[in-house]
Amino acid sequence: MSVSVTAIDTITAAADAVVLRAETRFEAHRQEVHCSTDRMFAWLLVAQWLFAIVLATTVSPYAWAGKEKSVHVHVWAAILLGGAITSFPVALALLRPGAPLTRHVIAAAQMFWSALLIHLTGGRIETHFHVFGSLAFLAFYRDWPVLLTGTAVIAVEHFLRGILWPESVYGIPNPEWWRFLEHASWVIFIVFFLVLSCRRSYRDMRVMAERGAQMEALSENHWRNSSVVDRTAAESAAGRG
Amino acid sequence: MNTGPIHPRASRTIGAPILGAAWLLAVAAGFLALWIYKTRPGAEGTTAARNWPGQSRIHANAGKATLLLFAHPRCACTRASISELAGLMARFHDRLDAHVLLLAPAGEEPELARTALWSSAERIPGVTVARDVGGTEAKRFGVETSGAVVLYDTAAKLAFRGGITAARGHEGDSFGRQRIVALLNGAHADRADAPIFGCALEDEGPVRLVQANDR
Repeated sequence: MSVSVTAIDTITAAADAVVLRAETRFEAHRQEVHCSTDRMFAWLLVAQWLFAIVLATTVSPYAWAGKEKSVHVHVWAAILLGGAITSFPVALALLRPGAPLTRHVIAAAQMFWSALLIHLTGGRIETHFHVFGSLAFLAFYRDWPVLLTGTAVIAVEHFLRGILWPESVYGIPNPEWWRFLEHASWVIFIVFFLVLSCRRSYRDMRVMAERGAQMEALSENHWRNSSVVDRTAAESAAGRG
Repeated sequence: MNTGPIHPRASRTIGAPILGAAWLLAVAAGFLALWIYKTRPGAEGTTAARNWPGQSRIHANAGKATLLLFAHPRCACTRASISELAGLMARFHDRLDAHVLLLAPAGEEPELARTALWSSAERIPGVTVARDVGGTEAKRFGVETSGAVVLYDTAAKLAFRGGITAARGHEGDSFGRQRIVALLNGAHADRADAPIFGCALEDEGPVRLVQANDR
């Protein structure tokens, strides 16, 4: 009776050890994904800043009044506002990589960049695709609440602009009340599938972590057994000698 | 009561949200400043020529409505106006005779007016592009801001004057464009003007803006 209880305890302890090992592996992998994605976004944010400065200085360098010229507000917006948008998330990515705050700030910053680029390109419809590209890139974190932060920021920005300056969002000065929902539904459409993808990705990471932990435990067990066999063989050889 | 020093980790935890809030405020202020700039219209212009000015070198088309768009050749904001004009011409080329007049300031080489804006306007089917040396035609039509449009009906009567963008250099529909579309469709437009967003055609733009507001 006590032998079987001890065996069950041993099996349970071994299973717990595998679960713990799997959890450690999963957390390490998740942290690695978050840190590497933070680094990628830090580069992207800086690249977007440089791109915006080049864009503004190339497309709209000056405002004119007859023969008089002055630096266009777009240039200042690209340098100063772009710099402000970029600075805090990049600092967080460098100083606190992998922290939840870092990726949520990065998500907000990426959406602010969409809004600024839309301004700098004169509201071109093509630039609005930056929002969807950014959401897809944010899914690299595999952490679905980050997508909700990004969606909330762009929703608030669109909502406020829709009230104050509807032409810049909807292309018409007096949109129907439900136009906000139409825009939001397309964002929700992509976010829905990205959230599914993030959850599936986490599940796959967990399965990988469990399999890795099992393999590790098996190989350690195998090593321990083989060590015993080797040790016995060595002792036997020594006894014969 | 704990009066000891704040743990560095705790101060870091408190500091990040404060920095985050300051960051959000700075970004919001930046967007607000940009929004104020983009939605600030230019000078409305002086007295509107109710009838087609007889001394103009451009002739009103008797069979079609005639539209003139005045532009500063280097005004980045006016690119959006040209883009909106292209949209109008694609829809109403059979009812609209359009001219784009690019300012060639007095004392400057006239060829300097041949900028990317000129090429963009030239690419629109049915649009005639010309230089407005010294801004003579702009003065005749009482226009002071780049991107300003005047629309005359087939009887050479002024039907609309104003801008056709929603903000400085911002593409997309606008009140001005909607009103022109209504007029060209033979419908009633709620107003015959719209704010103009663009660079000043003349050097003393800000002074004229004050004068226009004073009126």
